[in-house]
Amino acid sequence: METDLINLQYKRRFRRRLLLLLLLGVSVVVVFCVDIAVGPSLMELGEVFKTIFAPAAADLATRVIIWEVRLPYSVMALLVGAALSLAGLEMQTTLNNPMASPFTLGVSAAAALGAALAIVLSASIPGLDPKWAVAVNAFIFAFGSVMLLQFLSRLGGSGVEALVLLGIAMDFTFKALVGILQYVASAEALQQFVFWSLGSLTRSNWESITVLGSIIAVVMPFSIAASWQMTALRLGEDSARSYGINVRRLRFFSLVRVSLLTATAVAFVGTIGFVGLVGPHIAKLLIGEDHRFSLPAAVLSGALVMSLASIASKAISPGAILPVGVITSLIGVPIFVWLIYSRKKK
Amino acid sequence: MKLNLKAVCLAVVLGAAAVASMGQNITVTDIVGRKVTLKSPAKKVILGEGRAIITLSLLHPDPVSLVAGWTGDFKKSGGLLFDEYQKRFPAMAKIPVIGASGKETVSTERIISLQPELAIFGAGSHGPDARSADVIRQLEAAGIPIIFVDFRLHPFKNTIPSMELLGKVLGREKQANDYIAFYKSHYDKIEQRLKGKNLPRPKVYMEMIRGENLVGSPGKGNLGEFIDFVGAHNIGADILPGEVGTLNMEYVIRQQPDIYIATGIATPGTPGFEIGYGITEAQAQQSLKKQVSRPVALPLKAVQQKKVYGFWHLFYDSPLNIAAVDALARWAHPELFKDIDPDETLKIINEKFLAVPFKGTYFMELK
Repeated sequence: METDLINLQYKRRFRRRLLLLLLLGVSVVVVFCVDIAVGPSLMELGEVFKTIFAPAAADLATRVIIWEVRLPYSVMALLVGAALSLAGLEMQTTLNNPMASPFTLGVSAAAALGAALAIVLSASIPGLDPKWAVAVNAFIFAFGSVMLLQFLSRLGGSGVEALVLLGIAMDFTFKALVGILQYVASAEALQQFVFWSLGSLTRSNWESITVLGSIIAVVMPFSIAASWQMTALRLGEDSARSYGINVRRLRFFSLVRVSLLTATAVAFVGTIGFVGLVGPHIAKLLIGEDHRFSLPAAVLSGALVMSLASIASKAISPGAILPVGVITSLIGVPIFVWLIYSRKKK
Repeated sequence: MKLNLKAVCLAVVLGAAAVASMGQNITVTDIVGRKVTLKSPAKKVILGEGRAIITLSLLHPDPVSLVAGWTGDFKKSGGLLFDEYQKRFPAMAKIPVIGASGKETVSTERIISLQPELAIFGAGSHGPDARSADVIRQLEAAGIPIIFVDFRLHPFKNTIPSMELLGKVLGREKQANDYIAFYKSHYDKIEQRLKGKNLPRPKVYMEMIRGENLVGSPGKGNLGEFIDFVGAHNIGADILPGEVGTLNMEYVIRQQPDIYIATGIATPGTPGFEIGYGITEAQAQQSLKKQVSRPVALPLKAVQQKKVYGFWHLFYDSPLNIAAVDALARWAHPELFKDIDPDETLKIINEKFLAVPFKGTYFMELK
């Protein structure tokens, strides 16, 4: 009898969560459609979708606007939001810290250092096409920083605290090095770097979308596969161990996933903060701590926040584009605050 | 009594000296409206932006001899032009550096220790400018006069007064007046020809290219003022509230600008639009072609009709801006200004004024 009740409750909760996920998914699709439909040239919705599905029939200007301006911008917004939010969720669980974001352990500062090296000193991998230098440098530094962090934390004893403290130390070190590079930069390079670090979706193209999309597609299955263990880790390190989970190994691979996602996103669009912090929280507030649900929910809520930010960055001053990194916080904060208060009322 | 006599004598001598030196005193009002007095023309000056050496080289055959200290930006932004200066004036390597490119990097203590007779700052600049209250206060307290010039915030209002100022404080009035006369003749020609004509204003889309990306388009002010002055319409000015901003390419495509203009400073082998000192026409052509082969540029009428132009970016912050103005006039109204040739303008500046002539490609039309 009692087990029946528990079963029933479990099923109900399961169904409610599925429904919430579905709702989130539908919102993402709707907002994405709005994002594509919004632009300074006030194209009719029918024309927009006709051009998407039959590009050859449209005139050159319309085709380029849809396929080279609007779609890359909007699709990149979805992908960046999804990647950073997923990375944020993993980071928060791994470090057992609700304040953590993909940028907590210095990944973004490392990416900025790599980008600054390419922009200020033209230093990159020899033989690399200079057009990829900034992105490749940002990626190498971001990914490398997490590997270095893993190595250092292994040397300096175990525990999540050491990891966080070392990460913070690295964050400050990278920021200081970026500061020195800014000091020696020419005025023009400095301007270019500031522009890069504000974060912008205007740099998106189909190549970068393919790369980021593939990284997400490769990383996500591993995240999902680990979601059981991650949920156990949410209960505390000791209870996770008592389930027979190798916490160190779990943490290591989670950080590898985080750094892959973050490094790739930052490499292409610059540092877009906040979505990696707020995306996972929106997901958890809506759906709870169970990673099997909070993980897809974080992916969707991150994509949703970035899609909204993308609309705002184009619509606030039609014809101009405001840096999306600046807009994201302005869009994310109200959703976040509303969720916190509506939960308290319950 | 004896003492008094001595005092009187001393007073007379001192007074006479004061009168004599007052005769030499130079008093000017600078661009931001400050009254500045120098005892004599300055022979040792601080440059708040190293690239102002180009301005000095319009006035003095050995501009390096005037510089007591400068910021490091010319070395970083000057490219091959810097190398040429270095070759001609080996002493340039020994000019003390007072800071890097940004204003927060400048050391006032270093400036004071160099004991310059004058500091020349831009009213709005990458180096210390009219908003750098601390630097101004400290230098004034140390008795170092500062003058503000401006080629950047309001190039058309301020270029001539700035050159007049520099002529006076450096004791190079003849050279300054010669350049001003040359400048005015070009400026007036364009202004007068456009006056009362009410010509349709061609739409201009301008982008400033740095590295792989563009950093933006001019809005109101600076390069936007150039476009306005030559009787064209800067589509960025309708949208962007500040000096520079990012335009949505969709807006640009729908506006269908008549003319596309890029500015660049890249040196060979670095990403971006290669143009400037030591760059060949072929290199610049190839690199501009790449810029307009981006998919988003293809639907632009200006690109399809080959109304694609480019110029060296640093004209924007220099009294040489007149050459860029000539170029823009020619591109905006080719019929009206068919006798104007920016390369010719630059050639005259090279021959008659500049200590180090500009060699290379500075203006170009995509073939």
